Amino acid sequence: MMVEARAAPPALERLRRIDLQQWVVYLGFLLIFLFFAITLHDSGFLTARNLSNIVLQTAPATVMAVGLVFVLSAGEIDLSFGSIVAVSALAAAVVMQSYPMPLGVLAGLGAGLAIGFVNGWLVAYGRLPSFLVTLATLGLFAGIARSMTELRSIPVQDPLFTGIFGSGALWGVPSLLIWTVLVVLVGHLLFRETRFGAHVAATGDNPRAALVSGIPIKRIRLAVLTISGFCAGLAGLLYAGRLQAAKYTLGETDLMTVIAAVIVGGTALNGGKGSMIGALVGSLLMGMLNNGLILMGLSVSDQMIVRGLIILGAVAVSLRDPSR
Amino acid sequence: MVKHLRKAAGAALLMSAAALWAVAHAADGKTVGPNGEAPTPAETFRLTADEETKIKAGKHTAALVWHEMSEYTSAVNRGARDEFERLGISVVAETDAGFDAARQKADVETVLAKQPSIIVSLPVDPATAKTVYDPALAAGVKLAFVDNAPAGYAHGRDYAAIVSDDLFQMGAKAAAAMADALGKKGKIGFIFHDADFYVTNQRDNAFKAAISQDYPDMQIVAEAGMADPARSEEIAQGLLTQAPDLDGIYVTWAEPALSVLAALRAAGNSHTKIVTLDLNEPAALDMVKGGNVAALIADEAYVIGVTAARTAAGALVGKEAPAFLVVDSLAVTKDNLAEGWKQSLGKAPPSTLTEAAQ
Repeated sequence: MMVEARAAPPALERLRRIDLQQWVVYLGFLLIFLFFAITLHDSGFLTARNLSNIVLQTAPATVMAVGLVFVLSAGEIDLSFGSIVAVSALAAAVVMQSYPMPLGVLAGLGAGLAIGFVNGWLVAYGRLPSFLVTLATLGLFAGIARSMTELRSIPVQDPLFTGIFGSGALWGVPSLLIWTVLVVLVGHLLFRETRFGAHVAATGDNPRAALVSGIPIKRIRLAVLTISGFCAGLAGLLYAGRLQAAKYTLGETDLMTVIAAVIVGGTALNGGKGSMIGALVGSLLMGMLNNGLILMGLSVSDQMIVRGLIILGAVAVSLRDPSR
Repeated sequence: MVKHLRKAAGAALLMSAAALWAVAHAADGKTVGPNGEAPTPAETFRLTADEETKIKAGKHTAALVWHEMSEYTSAVNRGARDEFERLGISVVAETDAGFDAARQKADVETVLAKQPSIIVSLPVDPATAKTVYDPALAAGVKLAFVDNAPAGYAHGRDYAAIVSDDLFQMGAKAAAAMADALGKKGKIGFIFHDADFYVTNQRDNAFKAAISQDYPDMQIVAEAGMADPARSEEIAQGLLTQAPDLDGIYVTWAEPALSVLAALRAAGNSHTKIVTLDLNEPAALDMVKGGNVAALIADEAYVIGVTAARTAAGALVGKEAPAFLVVDSLAVTKDNLAEGWKQSLGKAPPSTLTEAAQ
């Protein structure tokens, strides 16, 4: 069999190399969408309301995913973004209790930016592995989020805030959709069309070579983790706007979903390669899976089993390394 | 001006939250609802044959939107499913929010695509749950809640009923079981749930109140709060270091109690008795084998599900339920394991337990 496969004609070989891996997320998305569309046609899956729910529900995860694409492409990892989400949402909510809304937004985004900067500084200039740094700050800021308000949830009542970051709409377009498109677009342009983006990928691909060719890899590492922090901060605001409240549990369960979305979307876990559009589709895929499996009427345990199998399948196709 | 108004609104909100908290924690020997509702025994709420026929004819559907899945939730879930089946209502969706309010909001939005007539749910975060359930209310779905209802919701107008444990009774029964195990005197360690969670807070407080009111020869000599169940073994070890001569330890629920048990075993301590809440197989196994665990206080979780389903179904035909229904609880010990298990979870105990008991 192996011999046969190796001896395949060049055209077929080329076809095989059209990086199936790069397209798996789009293909998988399409297949799963079709599957749900057919099996759930009388369960409301295809209603505009339900489809828009999927997009709006995944908005915070998508925003986090954009930050993570930068981090993973640069060959680093950020495990702390879930707790940054909580700290940022709480910071915004607490500040808005006594100060005007813009200060709350600044506090939320500023908290995300600052924590991301601390992560990045420790990794880049403290020469510490990002896995351990962000594992530590994950715990650290989860603890801070808990103690900030003594586990209470803080209501967010400013209608302008909840409009901009949650349930509002501009010319009929839901604000969460606008944020999703905006963040993915900016992320995509920054990653694909700028020198910075090329430097990020080069740093992740081969840091030594990048350094030799004059790329400031320390600054790149600092930057990607700061961006991830900022994105997590924005995701925190989106959660706070949507729920009209902030609580220490926000973002707690997103870590694995977002990592899976980004990886399935074609970003390399060990750096050098990333895709913003892939991450967006990966995130929508995760949301659609949650949605469709619930609508299928499966019990919670069955939902988890099926979701796990599908993600495993997607990861197997997108990440299988033939050289291993 | 706007700033002042906002400040005032914030302060008012904080004050009302504090007032709510105070009511929920009125430890006057009686469980009260989250809004101070008087409790009504769950078994008093029944549907007439006429109402049941009407409900069955309606071909209704229901969704179960849980806060997380545990042994407790799955017993409630089973009760609700059985009752819905009895009433000819098909369950079209079941969800688990993993204690995440944002996910619960997404779950409610998702199940609405199936246009259920009923949602039975346990709100993750009652203080902010209004935004979670408002879309369901707007769609005309009948709601019934387990343990707690969203702040700002009114009984009858917005939801059929809250069904819960008799939380105070559970705490008090834990105290009584501890007294039985220790011969009404001794030093007690108290491991409570260090989080803003109405159910565990009430049970913990009731235990503490009952010990100090009813058992003058029993003292709580060491306390520790637990926010993360995964860390309860360290907490237990800390407690035992602080007070090595404890006669008994109260643990807020069974899962962390297993870690306490592990800490006791590691220390070679077979003297200190554990009393905890909720049924759990490993804890029960230790109990039937004559280990440290003396009693497990169990609620009738299955009946909670049955009752919540029944109140929501009743609402479909205009039958009003009392605002706050509570089910009984019981102390399960070595002696009444099989009956207790059945009464609480609606199923026989696992065979490992019945075999070990023989």
